[in-house]
Amino acid sequence: MQVIKNIFNSQRAHFSAGGRFEKYYPFFEAMETIFFAPADTTAGGPHVRDSLDVKRYMTIVIAVLIPPLLFGIYNAGYQSRLAAGLSPDFTAVFSRGLWIVLPLVLVSYAVGFFWEILFAVKRKHAISEGLFVTAMLFPLTLPPTTPLWQAALGISFGIVIGKELFGGTGRNFLNPALTGRAFLFFAYPGNMSGDAVWTVISGAKDAVVDTFSGATPLALAALTENGSVAAALSKAGYSFARLFWGLYPDSIGASSALLCLVGAVILMVMGIANYRIIAGDVLGVLCTGFLLNLAASECSSPYLLLNPFYHLVMGGAAFGIAFMTTDPVSAPDMNSAKWIYGFMIGALTVLIRVFNPAFPEGIMLAILFMNLFAPLLDSIVVRLKLKKRVPNV
Amino acid sequence: MTKQRSRMISVRIKKGYDLNIAGRPSMETETAAPPARVAALPERIPFVRPKLRVKAGDRVKVGSVLFVDKRNPEIKFLSPGGGRIEKIDLGPRRVIREIVVVLDADETHEGFDTVSEAALDGIDRDELVRRLVDGGLWPLIRALPFRDIAGPKDVPPAVIVSIGNSQPFHPQPEIYLKDKADLFKFGLKAIRRLADGNVQVSISGSRPQLQTDLDGFITHRTIGRHPANDPGVLLYHTKKSAVENRTWFIDGQDLLLIAALLKTGRYPTERTVVVAGSRALEKKHLRTRLGAPLADLVKGDIRKGDSRLIAGGVLTGYSTEPETYLGFYETALALVPLGDAREFLAFVRPGINKPTYSRTFLSALSRADLEMNCNLHGGLRACIACGHCMDVCPVEILPQLTYKCILAGEVEESLEHGLLDCVECGLCSYVCPSKIELFDTLKTAKAAYYKEIS
Repeated sequence: MQVIKNIFNSQRAHFSAGGRFEKYYPFFEAMETIFFAPADTTAGGPHVRDSLDVKRYMTIVIAVLIPPLLFGIYNAGYQSRLAAGLSPDFTAVFSRGLWIVLPLVLVSYAVGFFWEILFAVKRKHAISEGLFVTAMLFPLTLPPTTPLWQAALGISFGIVIGKELFGGTGRNFLNPALTGRAFLFFAYPGNMSGDAVWTVISGAKDAVVDTFSGATPLALAALTENGSVAAALSKAGYSFARLFWGLYPDSIGASSALLCLVGAVILMVMGIANYRIIAGDVLGVLCTGFLLNLAASECSSPYLLLNPFYHLVMGGAAFGIAFMTTDPVSAPDMNSAKWIYGFMIGALTVLIRVFNPAFPEGIMLAILFMNLFAPLLDSIVVRLKLKKRVPNV
Repeated sequence: MTKQRSRMISVRIKKGYDLNIAGRPSMETETAAPPARVAALPERIPFVRPKLRVKAGDRVKVGSVLFVDKRNPEIKFLSPGGGRIEKIDLGPRRVIREIVVVLDADETHEGFDTVSEAALDGIDRDELVRRLVDGGLWPLIRALPFRDIAGPKDVPPAVIVSIGNSQPFHPQPEIYLKDKADLFKFGLKAIRRLADGNVQVSISGSRPQLQTDLDGFITHRTIGRHPANDPGVLLYHTKKSAVENRTWFIDGQDLLLIAALLKTGRYPTERTVVVAGSRALEKKHLRTRLGAPLADLVKGDIRKGDSRLIAGGVLTGYSTEPETYLGFYETALALVPLGDAREFLAFVRPGINKPTYSRTFLSALSRADLEMNCNLHGGLRACIACGHCMDVCPVEILPQLTYKCILAGEVEESLEHGLLDCVECGLCSYVCPSKIELFDTLKTAKAAYYKEIS
């Protein structure tokens, strides 16, 4: 500990005012505060302050993202070896998964950190820990086959256009990780959708076993024309339980609804994620799914008749609900607006999935769409609140 | 004495927050040793522009005029001691910091007119105001929303007498009101004359002793977390119209001074203060006098440099030195650790002993008192809209939005957001994980607006 302290103390002069690397102080601060909390004391009242800071706040989010990451690594390796007809031996699967996922995560962090430092130095502010969450969330939303250069491009777009252009952390109205993903989704649809992108198939194509089909549950659900969707899914091996546990081809971190549920519960218990948003999301999905059940007629697509709970476990809905909708900056500030925001995201997700054949998954677009409306919802709620005050001028 | 029977109104305040800070004072009371010198601290009186009426070497009595307020020379501040002006300490830009009086062994007092209890009913309001102004105690009566000294020529919509300040380490009313119920009632009578009988007396929570002693005189009982019993909070939760915004208020202990002045004809100097905080050796109530030297009151390693001495409360007070004196308004002294060490891997610790409003540390499982220091516990970051500030604001301001209005220069909008309802409790800054100085920003903006309109 003393050794680390000495390293920082010896370098401090170079990064402080007048030092050689004065400009890069935010980098120094970011590195030092990983090890040592700032020594700053309060300048005036209140003289004592809460122990919570943004660093811990964001660290907790990163911590709950570790299980989905680890599972994503395993799942990517598992699907890849399954497709290649190899044995699902744990070590082999995991190392295969690491080989697929780790580069994406590292690229996301390296490129994201580069942009953050650039803007922090230019704007002379400290590096915000929100970046570390964004850079973790982003690769978890990608298909495992995403080329590294696309990941770099996506995170760049997310950080620069989605966040820094609007003033940086705290001022972004879009979720930066999803902005990056949406960019890739529309710029390189061939790499972001379809049946081929969810499983890394290495070696010769003919090694692929015959039974392999890359179709995701969402694609299958949308394509089902006769009979029930649940039956079609289960015929393809996607039972409700399997969808819940998450061992199926999907975005890296998004497949396991279980781990998303665990993460969401931890975040809500700790007060990091707002329960109103999550409850709103879930209600939105279930209510809309149920209404579609009621509205379905004989000639409508069987997708309408799907048990609404399937919408929560298929695809990225659980991941989006737990980790994306709960981003406090791009969500509304006001509590009542959070309910509406969440509900609308849930509803839109189901509507996009069921009615728009171009987009098998709806959660990304639903969140980004509601991000745009969050300020409006806030504005309405604030206006109503202010109306109730006895004026004091 | 006419017995006023009225129903006590309970006012429940949902927000607010009680700090679980260690170092609470005991209910034990001790009389501090008589000081050798006392002082007045003009610098610590908000808004006042002091104009000296004495110079170093002058002889003064208890109650002689030391300085007046340039904005309204009627408002006088009197000497808390009798003796010789030892020095007048001027700070940068000639701010008057201290007027120090070396006390005579045998202090003499200025004489003021006394009022008997019977005469108080018939006394002319202007005459009563004049006596309080001349008696130097008018500044104890302050006006919301800016908390400046009330205008002697104004008639307030109401006066709130607050008994019990819930900020950590403030004197308990059971102690300063002990055996003084009659004096307090006498004071209330005087205050009633000022506000045409429209006086509200509020106590915080359940205080059986006071409810017995002051039976029928307490009008409001505030239930809730700090700062539920602040006059501004009570007003916010009871007001019906904008007229009431200019309500006056006075602290329960200060009302005793007013009563003593009218009753005895002498400038009263008795003060009950609390000395507490985890670094104070003796944490208790002290009976002392206005302007007493802090070094006489606080026992502990005050000069070692790793503690901070705070006058006026750990949330809203100011950092001070043991070499200075007790201010006109301050009744709380806290000695807390400075906490200027760099903590290793602070953000990943389980935090069983880290105080927090949030639920992100293990300490959230218990409400036990924990030591707090003056460390910021983090670096300044952008607002991440966690909403903690609006969850604690006792007057339902949306501090993060009001803060943004102020930063954008939108004065009108910040007023619409209730800036003037802000009771300056400091909870928003306390809970902010981004370490944004919300309290300071709102308070400064409020004061700036006040200067502009007055």
